[in-house]
Amino acid sequence: MELNITGPKVFWFFNLDLPDTSIFTMRNLITQTTFTLFTVTIILGILAIVLTRKITKRPGKLQVMLEKVVTMLYNMVEGTMGKHNLKFAPYIGALFASSVFGSIIGMTGIFRSSTADLSVTLAWALVTTGLVWANNIKNFGLKAWLKGFTEPIFIMTPMNLVSEVASPLALAFRHFGNVAGGSVLTTLIYSALALLSSVILGWIPGVIGQIPFFQAGIPAILSIYFDLFSGFVQALVFSLLTMVYIAGASPAPEELPEDRQEIIKKREEKKLSKAK
Amino acid sequence: MGLLNVLEFTTEKFENFVGVNFWTMIFAWVNLLILYILFKKFLFVPIKNMIDSRQKEIDDMYSDAENARKSAGELKEEYEEKISHAEEESEQILKTAVRRAQLKEEEILREADKQAERTMERAHEQIELEKKQAINDVKNQVSAMAIGIASAVIERDVSESEHKELIDDFIGNMGNE
Repeated sequence: MELNITGPKVFWFFNLDLPDTSIFTMRNLITQTTFTLFTVTIILGILAIVLTRKITKRPGKLQVMLEKVVTMLYNMVEGTMGKHNLKFAPYIGALFASSVFGSIIGMTGIFRSSTADLSVTLAWALVTTGLVWANNIKNFGLKAWLKGFTEPIFIMTPMNLVSEVASPLALAFRHFGNVAGGSVLTTLIYSALALLSSVILGWIPGVIGQIPFFQAGIPAILSIYFDLFSGFVQALVFSLLTMVYIAGASPAPEELPEDRQEIIKKREEKKLSKAK
Repeated sequence: MGLLNVLEFTTEKFENFVGVNFWTMIFAWVNLLILYILFKKFLFVPIKNMIDSRQKEIDDMYSDAENARKSAGELKEEYEEKISHAEEESEQILKTAVRRAQLKEEEILREADKQAERTMERAHEQIELEKKQAINDVKNQVSAMAIGIASAVIERDVSESEHKELIDDFIGNMGNE
């Protein structure tokens, strides 16, 4: 019995001399993950448009539920990031929904979980890092941000740089590892149960001895844990960490140094006058 | 046709279990961006606006109700005050009316008394006048008679104008007796 643990299937690839190593490739254009990503986006996008098509001041049952979910997300964002960062709520919502649906869509058996592909989780983690950097520069200024790497003493600079690189990597690998590891474990146990079945029941003559009875039941329970629960928890962890990282780079305006407060105030006034 | 020539379809190729695909990353970003825009435009902003406007409406309703309650209370007080005033006023009006009626009554009575008095006076005057006239009449007749008698007595004409003084004297004395 042989078990192959591989990444997503490749459908279309470039027959060109593009970088193609074991950890980074540019040759495979369309893979299983690509289909999953677009399917999830289309489903969620259609849901968002259809469900909010006729929202009214007097809500129906569906609208109440929808409002509850949206309010919960807003509250979560407000709780972890503060009132001034409520503008990030739609992004966190999109990230969380993509992650949850990307994970549990693997249960259908048709699609491969998009979060079981390191490329996806790394892309999301890099967005987080990009937002953190952008907000750091916006709020503290480029100089102060760069200077922050040499603190508390100059010797610490390499350490700070490593931690800056490590946090998105850890974010990406945590999510990827949990979902992909779950599916690997499920596959392993599935095969092991088939083996167990044939060892214990194999002596029965005829067709009955060939049926892997033990494969029924146990994998389903494991799937509930690894796909549903883990998928949900990892989405929550990823979103929460994203929020915490961005919140660290985007404190309330009154907590900033005074010179930065003035700059930001001026910038907002300019924005307002432009909008007019 | 350049892209189609270098793009090949396969069903047998798998990616590494742990590996990063540049294009998948691009697609992940694109999808996340699309979903972010859709969520913002169709889910978060409309629902947030709806919840906020509903909250505002409820707040407005409560403050309106509070205002209405307050103004109703004020009106009630005002009316109560007005009603108590009205009672006083009506009493006042009644009192004045009664007093005025009394005055009027007295006036009318006084007027009637006066009228009666005046009528009496006039009647007295009339009586006096008529009495005088009667006396004068009598005097005239008596004087005429006296003259007639006297002329008959003295057989000659007594000139009324010559003896007017004498006759009047005589009648005057007669009236006094």
